[in-house]
Amino acid sequence: MWASASFVGVLIIIGLPLWWKTTEVYRVTLPYDQISAFDQLPRTISTDLKILANDEATASELAALIEVAFEDSNTIKPKIHKAVLSDELHHALESVADEHDAVDEVAAAYNLTAHNCFYVVQRRPLFQQVWLAGERVMFFRDSEDAPIVVEALQKWVYQMSVLDGGRADNAADSARRTRLPPSAGYHVVLSVVHPTPDKLKVNFDAKEAVEDYIGSFVDELSILHNFTLKSQWLYLLNFDFQAREMKDNSDSGRHYSVRRDRLHRLLTALEERAATHVAALPTVNLAMYLVPCRMAPLVIYHDVAKPVLAPVQAFMSPKWGGVVLASPEEVDCTPQAVWHPNTRLIMGTFLAQLRPLLGIPDTAFISGAFLEPLRSVSPRRWELDALLRLRTLEQITTAQRTLQSLAQLLGEISNIVINDEVGASINSAVENIQKASVLAAEGDIIAAYETSKRAYLAAETAFMDPSLLALLYFPDDQKYAIYIPLFLPIMFPVVLSLKNLLLWFRGKPVHKDKTD
Amino acid sequence: MMCQLYIICILITVFVIPFNFGIEIPEKFQKSNHTNNWAVLVDTSRFWFNYRHVANVLSIYRSVKLFGIPDSQIILMISDDMACNPRNPRPATIFNNAHEQINVYGDDVEVDYRGYEVSVENFIRLLTGRVPPDTPRSKQLLTDEGSNILIYLTGHGGDGFLKFQDSEEVTSQELADALEQMWQKRRYNEIFFIIDTCQASSMYEKFYSPNILATASSLVGEDSLSHHVDSAIGVYIIDRYTYYVLEFLEHAFSSSEKTMTEFLAVCPKSACLSTVGVRSDLFKRDPSKVPITDFFGSVRPVTITTDPIDILDIPKRKKTEKQNKTNVLEKRKYLPQFPVHLVQGSA
Repeated sequence: MWASASFVGVLIIIGLPLWWKTTEVYRVTLPYDQISAFDQLPRTISTDLKILANDEATASELAALIEVAFEDSNTIKPKIHKAVLSDELHHALESVADEHDAVDEVAAAYNLTAHNCFYVVQRRPLFQQVWLAGERVMFFRDSEDAPIVVEALQKWVYQMSVLDGGRADNAADSARRTRLPPSAGYHVVLSVVHPTPDKLKVNFDAKEAVEDYIGSFVDELSILHNFTLKSQWLYLLNFDFQAREMKDNSDSGRHYSVRRDRLHRLLTALEERAATHVAALPTVNLAMYLVPCRMAPLVIYHDVAKPVLAPVQAFMSPKWGGVVLASPEEVDCTPQAVWHPNTRLIMGTFLAQLRPLLGIPDTAFISGAFLEPLRSVSPRRWELDALLRLRTLEQITTAQRTLQSLAQLLGEISNIVINDEVGASINSAVENIQKASVLAAEGDIIAAYETSKRAYLAAETAFMDPSLLALLYFPDDQKYAIYIPLFLPIMFPVVLSLKNLLLWFRGKPVHKDKTD
Repeated sequence: MMCQLYIICILITVFVIPFNFGIEIPEKFQKSNHTNNWAVLVDTSRFWFNYRHVANVLSIYRSVKLFGIPDSQIILMISDDMACNPRNPRPATIFNNAHEQINVYGDDVEVDYRGYEVSVENFIRLLTGRVPPDTPRSKQLLTDEGSNILIYLTGHGGDGFLKFQDSEEVTSQELADALEQMWQKRRYNEIFFIIDTCQASSMYEKFYSPNILATASSLVGEDSLSHHVDSAIGVYIIDRYTYYVLEFLEHAFSSSEKTMTEFLAVCPKSACLSTVGVRSDLFKRDPSKVPITDFFGSVRPVTITTDPIDILDIPKRKKTEKQNKTNVLEKRKYLPQFPVHLVQGSA
């Protein structure tokens, strides 16, 4: 009896719990309650807005109008401070002729370098009703222009539709479909494609151009991402544009047309040779296609008879990059000539393409308001702030969604392992999401961006960690398939002996005496 | 009769496609809101007698490439190298037809996973995105919420599983879970799932994620059969279902109005000898209004740039780090052939 009791002891009392414990799917305890409480976190980003008007009444009127306009927004909340212009500044603003000098006057009195702080300043001698340039200052003429000020704030400065699109469930928003997803860093690769190196001599310093133009631009975005800049030459990549000769009134009397719906094939052809998809980080592809002399100048056609009228023939593809078709002039095609492509124009085109790809949307037209065209490589100061807000919001939202999906999946799929490292990532993501939401609501945009980036990266790492699939080859049904043949033959006599063992414990005779 | 038709198809492809501009999608189709297309093409079986599976997957690969999906967005998994198999009478070629017109192993086939890399683990890791950290981007499925994915699997299957490499299998539950994880992570917009194996429909029965249209070459309990033997090669060279799919796709190059419903009816029982299974309850759109180019073609939206930034001053980037490289050339010399200097030094 002691023998069978010890079998029961080992197998059932020690063995079963041990088996249960060792075959359990390892999961660190996760903060499910905090993950499900993400919706209660602050959802808006605060931003400072200072209204400086000539008199108290104008300032109050404008402030009230702006407040009403932004009341319903669940993404951005301007903290409005209104003030009357000091006499000195008022006088200066009335007397200086040039708007940029006026901006300098404001800059002398107020700090315009602070992120996430925007000034709306009254200035009577203004040609337009509302004026905006690269600095964080917008001028307006008087209180009658308040609706235009509000529209300019919504569409240009705060880019509300883009911000809302950053949080929306589906990617219906065109800005979101264009820009690359958030990342810690990007590669920017300029490929100069030269199909006919034997026939056309080109003098173009790709490295220098990337360094000077793209480099100066991305330096301004260095608080957001790390950038790696590269350039390369690709020779003999012949792409069949199916170009057709068209007669025109130019000196040469002709140009060549390529249909717009042919262009996406060029992207595929470029991709094969440029090989930028092997890099570890997301890549922005910039390609400068040096059109061979036999089909220069090459013009893109929307359809059979509608050419693209632009100083440069170029196109971009969302989330991919941009292409410039650079055509040499006839003089450049003579045997002794060396072609110097117009670097300023070409790089300006690339920058115009790079901006929406990195999240700076194109600005819409607002009647009555004047936005000074961009004449330099650096983005406008307020565009940078808008980008910081957009990326913060996007990263917080994505991180929240990732963790919520993971929490749901853990409930649905039983054999996902969460080891200590992944658990730590999840915890850090949760913590950073909470911190970033609070920081954003307070308006500390730089800190909020940094924290949200950490949250986003931690959440991505947690979801995409290879260790989550550790039990891929060990699903539940296989557990039984393996253990039952192993344990069932042993368990049979043990279970059967239980009855005898119980009887024995109660002190009854186990073996009936033989009667005959 | 069929062979003649096939030759005509090939002729059409060869002569018509190069002159064909991009395909215009007629108005009657429901608009899809996908922004890019991906394809995952997997052959799971090894060994020479499974030549046909490699031919299947390479033929589909060739078709989707002709339709315009770039190589960087096609993940091709081939578990054996038939082109270099010593039994192949024509090394470095793979044919999908006894007439041997098209070498589907052309000179621009980019295989992402080959040989023993084609495992259940790698396949599931690829789908869920949980790849080891050193995986190059070309071997990852970098899809997003706007991606339409075509998944094509071929190999040997049974009720509820698909065999990989003669040593392991992926179950329908694992596959369904992997797709659910993709959906939860917003890694696809719509999926079109094709499987050509025996008892193929068992693989999609457990799917529970939305926006998936699935089709299979055979129902549970049925075998999928091969189409014909090439006596020069000595093995079956293509499966019936894939054969008719390819025939359909070759026609579709020239006319853009083919819909998914037509695709799903591509192989009637009289031709396939097995019943083609379809599962469309997870798919939100009406397959008769979805053009096949939503999955087989490639959307690459192109925006014309009309307003370049007119840069006034040529920028000069501040050089933050100075290059410390010295330009003094190091003088190089030969070392003595026998290191006498060492011996002399010690003496």
